[in-house]
Amino acid sequence: MSYVTGVMLLAVVTALACALPGVFVVLRKNSMIVDGIAHAVLPGIIVGFALTGDLDSPFLILGAAFAGLLVVLGNEWLADTGLLAGDAPQGLIFPALFAGGIILVSIDMEHVHLDTNAVLIGDLNLAAFPAILWDGVNIGPEYLYVMLAVLGINAAFIALFYQKLKLTTFDRQFATVLGTRSRLLNTAFMFLVSMTVVAAFKAVGAILVISLLVVPAATAQVISKRLFVMIALTVLFAVAGAIAGFWIAYVLNTGTSAAMAVFYGVLFVGVVLIDKLITRIRRNRRHDANEGDTQTRPKLVSSSPVR
Amino acid sequence: MDPIEFFSNHIFRMVFFGTTVIGIVSGALGAFAYLRKQSLISDVIGHAALPGALLAFLTAVVIFGVNGRNMLLLIVGAVITGTLAALFANVVAARTKIAIDTAMAISLTTFFGLGMLLLRIVANNPFPGKGGIQDYLFGNAASITRADLTTSVVVGAFALTVMLVFWKEFTLRTFDPVLSTMLGFRARVIDTLMFATIVIAIVIGVKAVGFVLMVAFVVTPPAAARQWTNTLPAMVILSAFFGGLGSGLGAYLSISMGNVPTGPVIVLVLFAIFLISLLASPKRSIVVTALRRVEARKALKREFNTEGAPR
Repeated sequence: MSYVTGVMLLAVVTALACALPGVFVVLRKNSMIVDGIAHAVLPGIIVGFALTGDLDSPFLILGAAFAGLLVVLGNEWLADTGLLAGDAPQGLIFPALFAGGIILVSIDMEHVHLDTNAVLIGDLNLAAFPAILWDGVNIGPEYLYVMLAVLGINAAFIALFYQKLKLTTFDRQFATVLGTRSRLLNTAFMFLVSMTVVAAFKAVGAILVISLLVVPAATAQVISKRLFVMIALTVLFAVAGAIAGFWIAYVLNTGTSAAMAVFYGVLFVGVVLIDKLITRIRRNRRHDANEGDTQTRPKLVSSSPVR
Repeated sequence: MDPIEFFSNHIFRMVFFGTTVIGIVSGALGAFAYLRKQSLISDVIGHAALPGALLAFLTAVVIFGVNGRNMLLLIVGAVITGTLAALFANVVAARTKIAIDTAMAISLTTFFGLGMLLLRIVANNPFPGKGGIQDYLFGNAASITRADLTTSVVVGAFALTVMLVFWKEFTLRTFDPVLSTMLGFRARVIDTLMFATIVIAIVIGVKAVGFVLMVAFVVTPPAAARQWTNTLPAMVILSAFFGGLGSGLGAYLSISMGNVPTGPVIVLVLFAIFLISLLASPKRSIVVTALRRVEARKALKREFNTEGAPR
C-alpha cells in the first residue's frame, strides 16, 4: 500500500469511526457535551503518553477516555445540584481540565513530543507512520488498524443496542417504563464516544474531532425522516468529506483535519440551502395547485436533551 | 516572588493589569450570557474569533502592506467572525430542525477549522511580522505591550459603557422577553447589542489568554457570583470582581512559578473560586444546604421527643 493511499484510507476510517456514534450524539442533543469531552481528554492523553510512551496504546485510549467520562458525569452532577442556570454546567469543567492539559504540555513534559498545534488539530500525515510490514509487504499504517478496531467496536455497540438506543433517544420515559436502564446505557455510550475522541486525537486533534462526530450526522438529519436513512446518509457524507478534505489539503498543502472540518461545514450549509430551496419550490407548486394549507414535514428530533 | 519585586517589573505589571482588565470586563458581561442561559455561545465565539484575527492579519499585510499584529485590527477581525459564528448557530437552530447545541458545535468546528487552515497558510508563507502568531491560540501574556493594555482598557470600557447605558433594556430582555417586546423594545436590536458586547469581552482576551480558553472567563465568574447573590447589580459587580481577582491572582501565580503559561493558570484559579462558591457560599451552597438539613432533622427530632411521636 502506498503512503498516500494509507493516509487517505486513514482519513476515511477515522471519519467513519467518529460519524457513526455522532448520529446518536446529534439526535440526543449531546453535541456540546462532546465538545467538552474533546477538550477534557487532553490531560488524560498527556499523562497516559508520559506513562506508556505510545499514543496508540490501548491503555492510554481507555485511561484518557475516563477523563472524558469525568466531564459527562461532572456536568450531570453540576446540573443535578440545581444551583446553575442554562447550559453553564456544561461550560465549567472542561476548560479547567483543558487548562490543566495545556500546563502539562508546556512544563516538564518536554520529552513528550506534542506541540500545542498538534493538540488542537492533530496531524494525519504523521499519524500514518509507522507502516506495518507483513511478509515484507506494506499493509498500511499501524494506526489505521487502531482506528479500524474503534470503528468495529462502535458499529458493534450500535448494532447490539440499536433498539434500546433508538428508544432512549426518542422517548426516554417510555424506555425507562419498559425497563431500559437509560442512565447506564447513556454512560456506556458516552464512554464509547470518549474512547473514539481519544483514539482519533492523534489524527485530528482535540477540537476538529467534534466536526467529524457532529457535522456529517447533522447534515444527514436535515434531510432524513427515518433513523436508518439518517445513518446511511451520515456514512455517505463522512466518507465524501474525508476524501474531499484529504485532496483539498493535499493541493493546498495544509492540515487534512482542518480541510475536512471546513469541507463538512460547507457541505452542511449546501445541504441546508438545497433543502430549503426544494421545500420552497414544492410549496409554491402546491400553492399553485390550490391544495390549501402546507403540510409540515415530520421532524426527526427528540423532545429534550438525553442524559 | 514578593509583590514589590513583582510590580517593579514592567512586563509583569503589564501582564497583571492586562489580564485583570480582561477578567473584569468578561466577568461583568458574562453575567448576562449566564442569565440568558447561553453561556456556551462564548465557546463558539472564542473559537470562531481565530479566523477573523488571521484574516485581519492577512488583509493588513497582503493588501495594505502594514503591520498585521495591531491589537485594534485584530479585535475588529475577531469581532466580525465571532459575531457571524454566533448568528450562524442561532439562524441554523431557528430555521432548521437542527438543535441549538448541534448548531453551535457545527459553527464552532467549521470556523475553527477555517482558522487552522489560515494558520497553516500563514506559517507556510513568508509574511512579515508573523512570528508568534500561534499565540492567538493560547495567548502569551508576556507579549502585552502598553499600547495593547490601552486598547484593552478603551475597548473594554466601551463595552461596559454600552452595558450601563442599556442596563434597563438588557435586564428586561433577560428576565421578561415578552414584556420587553410588548413595551416596544426591538428584541433583535437589544440582542445584537448584548452579544456584540459579549464578543468584545471575549476577543480582548486573545493576546493574553488566547481564543481557546476564553470560554472560562465568560462562564466561570458569573456561575460563581450567582451562588452569593440574588440581585442583578450585585451579581454583575461580583462577577466582575471574581473575574478580576482570578485573573490577577492567576497572572501572579504563573509568573511566580516560572515557566507556566498564564491563561491556563488563570482558568484553574477561576475554577477554584467557582468550586469554593458552589460548596460554601452562605445562602444556597452544597455544604450550607446539607448543614441546614441536619439542623432541620434535629429540630424535628426534638419536637417529637417533647410532644411524643404522632400516631
